[in-house]
Order: sequence, then structure tokens, then C-alpha cells
Amino acid sequence: MAPRRELMKVNVDSLLLCLISQQPMYGYQIIKDLATKSEGYFKFKEGTLYPALHRLEKAGLILGEWQMLPNGRYRRYYHITDKGYQTLIAKRTQWQDFFTAMNLIIQPVRI
Amino acid sequence: MTLSYYLDSIRDNLRLDLSTEREVIRELGTHIEDKLQELKDNGLSEEEATSTCLGLLGSARLVARQIYEAHSQGSWRQALLASAPHLLFGLLFALNWWQGVGWLLVMLALVLVAAIYGWWHGKPTWLFPWLGYSLLPVVGAGLLLLYLPTRWAWLAILVYIPLASWFLCSVIIQTIRRDWLHSSLMLFPIPVIAGWLLAIEFGGKFPELSVQRLYDLAPWIGLSFLALAAAVAAFVRSRQRWLKVAILVVSGLLTLAMVAYYAEGRLSWPTFLILILVMFGLFLTPALVERRIRRRRVRRSAPILADS
Repeated sequence: MAPRRELMKVNVDSLLLCLISQQPMYGYQIIKDLATKSEGYFKFKEGTLYPALHRLEKAGLILGEWQMLPNGRYRRYYHITDKGYQTLIAKRTQWQDFFTAMNLIIQPVRI
Repeated sequence: MTLSYYLDSIRDNLRLDLSTEREVIRELGTHIEDKLQELKDNGLSEEEATSTCLGLLGSARLVARQIYEAHSQGSWRQALLASAPHLLFGLLFALNWWQGVGWLLVMLALVLVAAIYGWWHGKPTWLFPWLGYSLLPVVGAGLLLLYLPTRWAWLAILVYIPLASWFLCSVIIQTIRRDWLHSSLMLFPIPVIAGWLLAIEFGGKFPELSVQRLYDLAPWIGLSFLALAAAVAAFVRSRQRWLKVAILVVSGLLTLAMVAYYAEGRLSWPTFLILILVMFGLFLTPALVERRIRRRRVRRSAPILADS
């Protein structure tokens, strides 16, 4: 369990930026979407999600705005900013390089 | 525990400016609303849904602390702005500008303008060092009034000092309501200023400070204010609360040690120890007052929550 949590901690910003880059989303929707898309692997707690969202917003990578839903309720939607896009591209490249290198080592040698 | 109590508990531990605090609470409130609806749609009763929701949300203190840390780090610009009054006072002494009345008036005007502007613009962290200096003339005027002829001194004691004390207390309490650490930040230079005043000596009457001694000590006084400026910049830039407390305590102790060292024996050991106690008193009293204010608030809101 601990290594998974550590991996999550390191990659939480990339996950959130990636998801928000696809469409503007609000907190509850992000938790549901992450769980669905990862087939239950990523189970975010509110205590992890909101501090991370606020950290990203403070860094200017995302922007929160209150919007009204069709049912009349208000939700705070997060949009990705230009700076956020640049960071996401950099993080994605970093991750792909790391993933490729890891695979080269971890995958069994073919004879 | 009810959900509104949970949100109150988060609000109490956030210690952010009012508008951010409102935004955070509103956002968490809408999240809770969605979560409760989902749990009820899954067949849980209102009570079961509430307790499950609270379990999933986790510790209110932890959530508040993490959100606080996401907001607590100020930018370099804010750090510079917060340390500016200490820097200016440092330069005033280091460059011997303290002798010019014009410079002193410019400083006073600058301090008052910054303090009033910050106070009416959301009380940002950079305000509090300025606010501390803006209160010094209020204290200074009270002390000077005591040296007026007897009749006037009585008037000062009966009118000015109670009014000034009320004003100081209300400013300090409002600061504590925002965050007790800001109050400590505001009162941070008091032991250092008191240390230098004692080192300069009072020659019997308060206004008769030893000008020559002040002139000799001016570079070191300047240096001590520059040290305070560096500490304030580090305070604003740090994210964790414990680190902010540690920065204030350690830099306060080091600056007081610097005062004692350069005062060349004019500060006795008991005086030095009293100054350290005053420093800890100024740091800890706001924390205790905040605790009291919070307990009173909880007691007041408890019956309302019980009904909800």
C-alpha cells in the first residue's frame, strides 16, 4: 500500500493537470472521474484532492471559477491555464522517458 | 459531530484571509452536498450518510492544515514587502539617517500609509510588520506624556493611556482572530527595541537618551533590524506552520543575543533573561488568546448545531 501512496504523492499534480486539461471539472467530479478512468486504482480522498487543487491554483497552473449547474447549484470548476499546459507537456515527457527507461530494465529479456 | 461542525472546525484551523476562507468552505460544502446525495442514492439513511461522509472526509484539522500549506507560502514580492519596514529601520540606523527629522517623518508616514492600506485591503501577511511599527508612536506618545508636568501627566493616565490601551488591544485581538502567528509577527521587534533602549540608557528621564551612545550603537542597531528583516522574509516564504514558529523564535533569540553582545555589558544577565521571557510571552500570549476566542466561539455555536 505504501509504495502506491508514494507514487500517487509524486504524480498527483500530473494526474490532476491531465484530467483538467481534457475539460473543466469540479472537485467531486475529479474524484469520480479518476476512479472510473483508472478502474478503481486511484481513490482520491478529499484531504488529498483539495490541498492539491489549491496548490496548483496558487502556482497559476489551473484556475477555479464558480459556475451554475443546470439544477441551479453552484460548483467550482477548474480550468487549465497556459502555464498549466506547458507544465503538463513537460511532466508528460518526463513520465514517458521514465516509463520507457523503466520498461527497458524491468521487462524480462527476450531470447 | 455534524457536517456543519466539521466545516466550522476546518474554518477554525484554516487561518487564511476571509475571502479565501469563504471560498474553501463553500467549495467543501458543495462537495459534501454531492457526496451525501450519492450516499443517500445508494440507500443510506440521512444519519448513516452523514457518518460515512465524515469518515471519508478525514480529520478536519489535517484537511485544514494541508489547505493552509497550499496558501501559506507568500511570493518573493510579499516577502520583500513584509520585511521592508525592518529593512527601512535598519537602513535608518546603519546610514545614520535617524538624526534627520525629515527621514523620521517620511518613515512614519510610510508606515502609517502601508498599515492603513493593508488593514483595509484584506489584511495580507505583509501588513503585520508594518502594523507593529505603526503602533509604536501610540505607545511612545503615552510614555512621553508621563513626563509632562504633574497635572498633564494625570490627564494622560486618565484619558490617553486607557484609550490607547483599548485601541492596541482591539488591534491585537483582531489580528489574533485572523491568525495568532500574525500577531506574533507584529510584536516580533518589541524585545529587540526594548533591549536597545535599555542599552542606550535612560539618564534619569525618558527623552534624555544618550545620543552619543545611540550614535555608537547605530550600526549594530541597523544590523539587528536587518536580521529581523531576513527572518520575516523567511517567515513569509516558508510553508509549514511549525517552521514559521521556529523562524520567529530562533531569530528572536539570536537578535536578542546580538543586542546583548553589542551592548557591551550594558545589559545584565537578569535583564537579558527578562527580555527573553518577554519575547516568549509576546509569542505565546496570542496563541493562548486565540484558543480562548475559539473555545468561546465553539460554545456559542454548539446549541445552534445541536438543533441542525
